[in-house]
Amino acid sequence: MRQTFGLRAIALLLAAGLLLYPVVFTDPFYRDVGVTFLLAAISASAWNIVGGYAGQVSVGHSMFFGLGAYAPLLVYNLWGWPPIAGVPFGIALAISLALVIGMPTFRLTGHYFSMATLAVAELIRIFAGTWGLVGAAIGLQGPATGRAWWDLTFRSELPYYYIFLGVLALLLATTAIIENRRFGFYLRAIKASERAARNLGVPARRIKMMALALSAAFTSVAGSLYVVKTGFIDPDSGFGILVSVQMVIVAALGGAGTLLGPLVGALILVPLQTATNTWFGGSGSGLTYILYGGIIVLIARFEPGGLSELWPRLLPRLWKRAHAA
Amino acid sequence: MVGVQVIVGGLLLGAIYALFSSGLTLIWGMMNFINFAHGEFVMLGMYVALLVVTWLGGGPAVFAVAAAAALFALGVGLYSSLIRHVIRGPLLAQILSTFGLALLLRYTAFLVFSANFVSLPPTALAGTIKVAGIFLPVAQLVAGAAALILTIALHILLTRTTVGSKLLAVAEDRAAAMLMGIRPDHMQALAWGLSAGAAGIAGALMATAYPWSPSVGETFSLIAFVVVALGGFGSVLGSLYAGLIVGLIQAVSAFWLGAIYKDIVVYGLFVVLLWLRPQGLMGRT
Amino acid sequence: MLLEATNVSKAFGDFLAVAGADLNVEDGEIVGLIGPNGAGKSTFFNCLAGETTPTGGRIVFADQDLTRAPPEAHARAGIGRTYQVPTTFEDMSVLDNVMVGAFLRHPHLEDARDHARRIVDMTGLRADQRARSLGTPGRKRLEIARALATEPRLMLLDESLAGLTPTELHEAIALVRRIHEMGTTIVIVEHIMEVIMTLTKRVLVFNQGHVIASGPPEAVVKDEAVIEAYLGRRHRRQDGNG
Repeated sequence: MRQTFGLRAIALLLAAGLLLYPVVFTDPFYRDVGVTFLLAAISASAWNIVGGYAGQVSVGHSMFFGLGAYAPLLVYNLWGWPPIAGVPFGIALAISLALVIGMPTFRLTGHYFSMATLAVAELIRIFAGTWGLVGAAIGLQGPATGRAWWDLTFRSELPYYYIFLGVLALLLATTAIIENRRFGFYLRAIKASERAARNLGVPARRIKMMALALSAAFTSVAGSLYVVKTGFIDPDSGFGILVSVQMVIVAALGGAGTLLGPLVGALILVPLQTATNTWFGGSGSGLTYILYGGIIVLIARFEPGGLSELWPRLLPRLWKRAHAA
Repeated sequence: MVGVQVIVGGLLLGAIYALFSSGLTLIWGMMNFINFAHGEFVMLGMYVALLVVTWLGGGPAVFAVAAAAALFALGVGLYSSLIRHVIRGPLLAQILSTFGLALLLRYTAFLVFSANFVSLPPTALAGTIKVAGIFLPVAQLVAGAAALILTIALHILLTRTTVGSKLLAVAEDRAAAMLMGIRPDHMQALAWGLSAGAAGIAGALMATAYPWSPSVGETFSLIAFVVVALGGFGSVLGSLYAGLIVGLIQAVSAFWLGAIYKDIVVYGLFVVLLWLRPQGLMGRT
Repeated sequence: MLLEATNVSKAFGDFLAVAGADLNVEDGEIVGLIGPNGAGKSTFFNCLAGETTPTGGRIVFADQDLTRAPPEAHARAGIGRTYQVPTTFEDMSVLDNVMVGAFLRHPHLEDARDHARRIVDMTGLRADQRARSLGTPGRKRLEIARALATEPRLMLLDESLAGLTPTELHEAIALVRRIHEMGTTIVIVEHIMEVIMTLTKRVLVFNQGHVIASGPPEAVVKDEAVIEAYLGRRHRRQDGNG
């Protein structure tokens, strides 16, 4: 009970902080960092449904992100529709792809799912780079200046910030509901032991598939949000491996399979990334990924539960020390 | 005649694929573990060759052995410092450990060696020879032949020697192996050494004939996945056949469809395999 | 007849782990399954629970043919099982572990929680404890509770009482009795003869993948084929019932 109370207090504080952030920090740079943070949190939370809760470690989630990112600009370039109209297409494509991948791989061991996701994402990335319809290696461009409000091209960061925040809230609410439903229990059981779960009547394959489809849908929305804001997509920024890496590391650092883990991970990594990019300029992105690789290895070696496992052990110790002093 | 040249070239490259993929399949067979950094090991082998040639000089034999030794040491070191600890942990830790390692190695290589393509200075293997009416670079021929021999040697090591049967004993039943006086930890460290060593020497061999950049690691990891999936997880001999087939498919599709499509065809093959014989993919031979 | 397993076999390559085993269980029985290590009891259990598909034979449970059905279908049909090596959900609490089972017949959270609480109380576990922190006896008990939460008509207990202290053993025997009295049919694999003698009226002896003897426990332990199988002398083919 105490723990739920603490969690609720933290959640309320976080919500208030996120709502007020762009009001307090009016500088466009800080607002942009805020938007980047929200996008990272959305993507990682979406990954978290299948990678964290269900324990099916996808390392190719960029395939869903990329579909969501290409769809809006594709409907704009082909038919002149407002980009936002492409979002449902992105979701539909992502869910279809999830089913195509999940059907064979979910019969196999977890390692195999990871290999397959990596290979499929890479396959799509290369393919997108050769396909003229989606701009091949150059990619697609959105409306440079909005024709009307529904093109969602805002000069200020503020509208993006609150749209992204709304999606994040929806995603976290969905996850929180899942946590306390049969579906959430089944996901955790499958992660712990698929064999035992099935013996208790859990239709594991179907449950994993649903988790992947849901995760894919939200990841695709994250891709759409990204492209609505930047107005530009190419194979690497849509389907590239680093897009997947970002999702995995943000969730794993904060705590995979926990509601707020991805948020905590993004809270640490996005400022870190911004700092290395600002300080080291062009070589900064390379440095960021060296740092990412190192962090991932350290998490795996010492704290597979991420910070969510570390806090409860660290805090009482600090508490005791403070009282002893 | 061009067709024959393409086919021979594909098979020679395929032999190198077979060599480094057999390292991946060895680890899978021993401990049901996929090394996502395996392609980066190949990439490191290439740079070790470059460094040895630039700093110390010496011919292909020297830098190939140096690359094998360096990567063997790296494999053993990684096993004892990292893999040993995550192998009993959750799946997430297992996958993240080598996935993070791949990033670390890849982007460190970018930082140290830059993103530019490099190739070795001309070695004793420079030039081309004419065999049965087709022209082949000597380096390709020697590298491919050496890779073929080494893969077969690895297969013999695993199936015909005492060390090999100890490795297999650990793979079959850890507890039983321990009762026989085998130390599973040592055997698994050895397996990681052999696996990384095979990748390293494959990289050095490839460096004699092809230019490369730090980003090749990811491609090689994926190629190793396809080869292992096709050849059967845990089978070195299977990797040999599958490596040759994948090399051949790549060469043929690059020639007839265009270079950009060669990876699409190979990864596509992986997806098709996934659908057609997923049960065969898990089997150990 | 609740369960009719006829001529079940399971081959792994050339090795026949189960070689034409028969098991018929009446509603309300407790049947013991004994036999030396490696006799194929666990593989046979895996067949009955749907975890491995038999390579031959037929498994009919409550008039449904479950021979090739997946484990979740076995659970839905009313077969619950425990494992020789417990596979509890380590990071989840005892209550959450049991709730996973309870959800099978109670899809709503509150119903499942109420049902799981009743079972946790009955099995004498502590609801808020993490499975990870339980010892082996606790885990085995949790496995029973978890399977029980699926409201099975038939429980397959795979050495759930092994490795317990005498006190724990008697508690566990009492628990199995209670489960039986609630109307659950039980098949129990056990090495401890005390358990078999006190709990069962009928015992089947497994050796080399099939049933070599069956009957009341007192008679079976005197059976020559059974003694031979246990003493590990060269096995003479002596199929048939004792």
